[in-house]
Amino acid sequence: MSVTAGPAEPEARLRVVIAEDTVLLREGLRRVLTDAGLDVAGAAADADQLLKLVQALSPDVVLTDIRMPPTQTTEGLQAALEIRRRWPGTAVIVVSQHVETEHLFELLAGDPRGIGYVLKERVADIAQFTAAIHRVAAGESVIDPQVVSRLVARPRRDSPLETLTERELAVLALMAEGRSNQAIAGQLYMSPKTVETHVGNLFAKLGLLPGAQDHRRVLAVLTYLRR
Amino acid sequence: MNRALRAAVIAGAITAAGCLAWAAWPPTSQFAPILTSMLVIGLSFIIAGLAAWQRWPSSRLGLLFTIVGYLYLVPYALVNLANPAAFTFGNLSQGFYGAALAQLGLAWPSGRLRSRFECGVVIAEYVSAAVFGLAGMMFWNPTFDGCPASCQNLLLVHSSRPVWDALNTASGLVGLVLTGIVLTLIIRHWRSAQGWSRRAMVPLVWISCAVGAEQILTGGAFNLQLSSLVSFGLAPLVLLTGPALFVASTIRARTARGAVGAAVVDLEPGAPPTRLRDTLARALGDSTLQLAFRLPDGAGYLDTTGQVVDPARPGPGRAVTPVTEASGAVLVHDGGLEQEPQLIRLTAAAASMALEHTRLQAEVLAQLEQVRASRARLVEAGDAERRRLERDLHDGAQQRLVTLSLALGMARDRAAEADPELGSLIESASKEAREALTELRELARGIHPAVLTETGLTGAIQALVERSPVATTITAVPHERYPAAIEATAYFVVSEALANVAKHAKADGAQVMIRKFPGRLLVEVSDDGTGGARSEGGSGLRGLADRVASVGGVLRVDSPPGGGTRLEADIPCP
Repeated sequence: MSVTAGPAEPEARLRVVIAEDTVLLREGLRRVLTDAGLDVAGAAADADQLLKLVQALSPDVVLTDIRMPPTQTTEGLQAALEIRRRWPGTAVIVVSQHVETEHLFELLAGDPRGIGYVLKERVADIAQFTAAIHRVAAGESVIDPQVVSRLVARPRRDSPLETLTERELAVLALMAEGRSNQAIAGQLYMSPKTVETHVGNLFAKLGLLPGAQDHRRVLAVLTYLRR
Repeated sequence: MNRALRAAVIAGAITAAGCLAWAAWPPTSQFAPILTSMLVIGLSFIIAGLAAWQRWPSSRLGLLFTIVGYLYLVPYALVNLANPAAFTFGNLSQGFYGAALAQLGLAWPSGRLRSRFECGVVIAEYVSAAVFGLAGMMFWNPTFDGCPASCQNLLLVHSSRPVWDALNTASGLVGLVLTGIVLTLIIRHWRSAQGWSRRAMVPLVWISCAVGAEQILTGGAFNLQLSSLVSFGLAPLVLLTGPALFVASTIRARTARGAVGAAVVDLEPGAPPTRLRDTLARALGDSTLQLAFRLPDGAGYLDTTGQVVDPARPGPGRAVTPVTEASGAVLVHDGGLEQEPQLIRLTAAAASMALEHTRLQAEVLAQLEQVRASRARLVEAGDAERRRLERDLHDGAQQRLVTLSLALGMARDRAAEADPELGSLIESASKEAREALTELRELARGIHPAVLTETGLTGAIQALVERSPVATTITAVPHERYPAAIEATAYFVVSEALANVAKHAKADGAQVMIRKFPGRLLVEVSDDGTGGARSEGGSGLRGLADRVASVGGVLRVDSPPGGGTRLEADIPCP
């Protein structure tokens, strides 16, 4: 299934459940997402409420903050993992204030399809944010570009990464963000064929298994970048 | 003993000695060896008496030694004066020194007789010496012993050899009985004595047996036909062991003083009271020594074996010496030790010092423990405050900024079509808000890394390594969770170490290794940079060492110039 960014037709509206403990932000999100053509079916203030809503509403996408009451640590993340376990078809975007990758890997460890990890400030860019929701709903993985760019920019010694060309690095970063070859081609103004060539080359340089499907290669690339 | 008395004693001794020496002159005279022996014996008792008087001013032992010396020396000096009255009186009083000797032996070591019976025995000794002396003089003609005619016995009533011999034998038999009683009493004293006194009695027993044997053998009970050289010159030399008793006890006290001093020096600091008591008892030579402490409620004293002690009634033959007023400790020891006030004072002082040392050590340790605990509490309170601050930032300012960004985004989208200029204005405001969010996030992370609380060391160290501007690898990091203070300390060690690597080391790479060993967590950060870091230098390392110390750990820095830097924190961890 291929869904493009932007408002969808009313009958195809995505059903979204939001979990955010700050009232102001929760209501703001509800409004923004509704304005963007999404169906905000429910909004929860904590993890328990979120799980109940998901069970009751069977949404397409869940949008949850990581830190929520009562302990303000990783309730949202735990809820996201549980949702994935109990309702594997439900796409989940975790909204985080952490650039750190620990939670990201916890989240991706199972099946990275339909998983998103975006920094909280992304909500300001409504179009991009809505696009991310559509992408996870379509089964893609969405990793915040800032998180990826930090991983790519890490200093390394004697790493094959240093042998990559600038183009290859750009392709690598977009792969890590969860983009498909087609999306990468569109973003970098290349033909899909060229993208495929770059992917093949850089996989060979990094010693990664070629031919991994989009959703598998996100994890492979991220793991490579993180170590 | 006052000066005049001492001068008189010394003058008398010199006079008597002079008389004897004059009588013995020239040295070739046949009486010279006998008279020299008498001189030596008499003077040694007098000298021992003077010294004992000096050493034990409150004891009668000095007086008794002196009396024995005089009673021994004076009669012989008088006999040799070639004066009839002196000759008579000298011969009459020759037996008294034996009685004084018996008194000395029975009064040892305190200088006091222990019972009425013993007083009776001593009186019997003196009476026997007087009666037999007087009776003998009534029948003794000096010519019996080959004295020249010039020797005149003024008390002679009837010159009769058989009567005199019979009296001699009777005197010897009475002497035998009395000496036997005295020896038995002395042995009983020894057997009933304990501790310090018992050991003080040992030489007395040997000496008494020897002197007793000499007295009995030369006393006439067995009518041994001894030459006058043996009976008046050689045999009495046994008496020299009497003054030797004083010398022995003096040496013993001195040895004990030295031993107490040495024992206290050797005693390890903070030794328990039981060990202190044992050490002192051994050094002092008083196995009965007790070290007792006042109970906290003031209801009495307990010694180191847990026995109740009443300092007001220490028991027969026991004495009490307070250690110090403040410590409420007392030494209960053998009464014989009261003769050696210096020794017992030294022992008390030694005990006091050792106890005070132990008390101070315990106090310092307690204070150190308090300081450690309060330092740990301060650091923990600081950590808690940082966590609270970070949470406040997250729940407050960060959320508001996110909400603001969201609102700005909406405003921009709406304004963009109608008024592009307003749209770009709002866009720049929105950009500012995003920048502020990023800065705030970094600030919050610096105050307290939420990822540490949420995921423990694994995620937090990974995060540090990811943001390190120097290529850094993690060799090992445990997945277990540890107490918050320990995790925070380990985190700050790595964080500070990596910051230093980035700032100072000019390194190409760094390594982080955290390993858990039984009871401890070892955090190690090493780099291949220029080295030369010192923990005294940078306040960062100093502060880090303090931080590690707050949880009882140690920070080690190994940073030879040109050889990289290795930072190691050894943190106690359950």
